[in-house]
Amino acid sequence: MVARPVDDRDLHAYVDGHLDSQRRIEVEACLAEDPASAERVNAYRSQIDQLHELFDDVLREPATPAMDDLQNRLSGQIAGNDNYRRGWLRSPFARMAAAVVLLLAGGTGGWVLRDPEPTVVEKQQPPLQSFAQEAVQAHTFYASDNRFAVEMGGEDRGALDSWLSERLGRRIFGPDLSSAGFRLIGGRSLPTATGVGAQYMYENDGKRRLTLFVGTPKAGQEAAFSFVQKGDVSMFYWVEGSIAYALIGRLDRDQLMNITQTVYRELKIRNVPPAPPPAAPPPPEAAKQPPAAQPVGDVKRKDM
Amino acid sequence: MSRFGTELEVQIASLRRYARALLRDKNDADDLVQESLARALSRADRFKPGTNLRAWLFTIMHNVHVNQVRQKISRPDEVPVEEHEMRLITPARQETSLELRDMSRALAELPDEQRQVLLLVALEGLKYDEVATVLQIPIGTVMSRLSRAREAVRIKLSNEGGVPLRRVK
Repeated sequence: MVARPVDDRDLHAYVDGHLDSQRRIEVEACLAEDPASAERVNAYRSQIDQLHELFDDVLREPATPAMDDLQNRLSGQIAGNDNYRRGWLRSPFARMAAAVVLLLAGGTGGWVLRDPEPTVVEKQQPPLQSFAQEAVQAHTFYASDNRFAVEMGGEDRGALDSWLSERLGRRIFGPDLSSAGFRLIGGRSLPTATGVGAQYMYENDGKRRLTLFVGTPKAGQEAAFSFVQKGDVSMFYWVEGSIAYALIGRLDRDQLMNITQTVYRELKIRNVPPAPPPAAPPPPEAAKQPPAAQPVGDVKRKDM
Repeated sequence: MSRFGTELEVQIASLRRYARALLRDKNDADDLVQESLARALSRADRFKPGTNLRAWLFTIMHNVHVNQVRQKISRPDEVPVEEHEMRLITPARQETSLELRDMSRALAELPDEQRQVLLLVALEGLKYDEVATVLQIPIGTVMSRLSRAREAVRIKLSNEGGVPLRRVK
């Protein structure tokens, strides 16, 4: 198979997360042999990080009264034209799901919104279910382990994020959940049936633990959103483009829902690169794993 | 909050961040956002729910900004780049590293048209075709401005690496 040569535009699209998986693999192969381009890619990526560091604080500033007022009026004006059932909206779960659909739509150019009747739980594909199962297993297994709960501590967030991003082959990060009372204690990478997974672990003052599991199951691009409860463990999981997230903890649904909100916001704020366009499913050859799952043994282990 | 309200809240936060990065001054940036929201409100009947709210809002803000710049030209009160930088580094960020200061300076030194494209893509995560819509330029122009902006910043930062920060009087 002869790949189309990688040009400047591909490099930018690669940095910005706009390539489909097939093309991404081709660009990565090319970067491995072209140190100059690889250096540019790294520089462009750190520009993105630095811009966020410089300006993300703005997102947490309270809106001015004038802004609040305009927002309410604008919302009333436009939402008045919305044609979906009022009753449906009253359930907090449905509101939550709607919020997810919208947040995802923001990241993917609005294509999700074309469905006038958003469904709460879209049809699940087996890879996603297996992802969710593995996320719960990883939670139960490691959240109860005080000695080896994490592979790498969360003191240096940047280092943890770049290490896990490298493992996954995508730029990911552990959101800041301090507003919900949870601090990041660290993370680990682990093999799953659908490639490398990353687990971020959080803890609150009551020593209660929460994990965010991030993976790349090939479940398609739909904005699925589901809630699952097994015993006293609750989980919300969803997909943004090619990245799947599961938030798991021994919390009731409302508590977990609130924290899930925070996670969405943080993801939105930090602008995890959006998914490849929904239109083009990769050809069958692309089914080869992008980043090969590596043995778990070769990573830094950091005792808690 | 309604479905639309939630999305709107997120998009307004994003508009504010972009405006701040573009104008640097908090008051100027918030004024720009408020004026843009007022404009959006006045033409809310033209927005179809289910279409791209983000592109719609950013386009409105871009147009308002262009108008403001035109008005500024007729009554200029220009501030040197250095003063902008001082304002950017807010007290809450005293730990701001030298790299961030260099980044901030490199951004300030870009031509407006390149800075806009870089911020929309790299900070706000807009897709290239959305940027073309918002700025009303062809997508090829988006790509060439993005490419020039990223290279200019990269070269500036790599030159400044290791060299002590020039003292600004």
